[in-house]
Amino acid sequence: MKTMDCKDVLANLSCYIDGEGSAELRTALEEHISRCRRCRVVFDTTSRMLKIVTGTAPFEVPLSVSARLYARLEKVLSEV
Amino acid sequence: MQKNEPANQGVPDEDDLLLVERVLAGDRRAFEPLVRRHERRVFRVTLAVLGNIEDAEEVMQDTFVKAFRHLDQFRREARFTTWLTRIAINEAIQKRSTRKNLVPLAEAETAKEQFTPKRHESWKSNPEQFYAKQEIHRIIEDAIQSLPEIYREAFILRDIEELNAEEAAQALGITVAALKSRLLRARLMMRESLAEKFEEPPTLKTKIVHTAVDVGTTVAMRLMRAAGR
Repeated sequence: MKTMDCKDVLANLSCYIDGEGSAELRTALEEHISRCRRCRVVFDTTSRMLKIVTGTAPFEVPLSVSARLYARLEKVLSEV
Repeated sequence: MQKNEPANQGVPDEDDLLLVERVLAGDRRAFEPLVRRHERRVFRVTLAVLGNIEDAEEVMQDTFVKAFRHLDQFRREARFTTWLTRIAINEAIQKRSTRKNLVPLAEAETAKEQFTPKRHESWKSNPEQFYAKQEIHRIIEDAIQSLPEIYREAFILRDIEELNAEEAAQALGITVAALKSRLLRARLMMRESLAEKFEEPPTLKTKIVHTAVDVGTTVAMRLMRAAGR
């Protein structure tokens, strides 16, 4: 099995998180992060960042923005 | 990745089609629930491309007006949300192209170089719980807004709106490979930016231990590589 260095891990990080890549590539990445603390931290915190961001559900439509949208649509919908 | 909040709030696509049919049959009021189901996604994608609320608002309005006026062009083989998202992104990209301060090409070029993480400390176990709900929203939104636009749009479309790589690439008019490379960089930049708030402050002892481990790992890897040659 081909060994990965830190650069390879970084290049394939997204791919791994998204569940892509061959079994061989995934195993090589797992093997690297099990022995490299820095890569382990980067992998772990990137995964956690994604969970936190999706859990937070950012960018609500501000009420005033929504109100102006419906006001404009009201006009458009009532056009003949 | 688990969907914490599907873009159309978990309402099945068939409901979109029923509403579209009603509007096309002359019931214009049915357009309003259709807007309610999708306003958040349209707002996010326009914000992703444009980066400020004022422009995003204008383009969001134009998107729904255009969708209403051209609803008869919607082909039912595509999902309504995909069709609408494409209109929103096209309108936003068009708006962006009218701006004077276009993204310098150099910014797109830097994507070819690998981004190197600078922070290597672990995070607190539930860092988001250290902040009030509003505060955590602000931290996340500021971090996303601070991303250069080519990374911001890739991040929002893929990781927030959960478009697949092909859909996101097509919507942005770039290759899947370019999309993936931008997404990787966006994720690493987001991690770096949030690390400042979420890291466990290292004690002197952990600093010493980590340095020793990192040095040991580097040496071990060099030895392994040398042995493999």
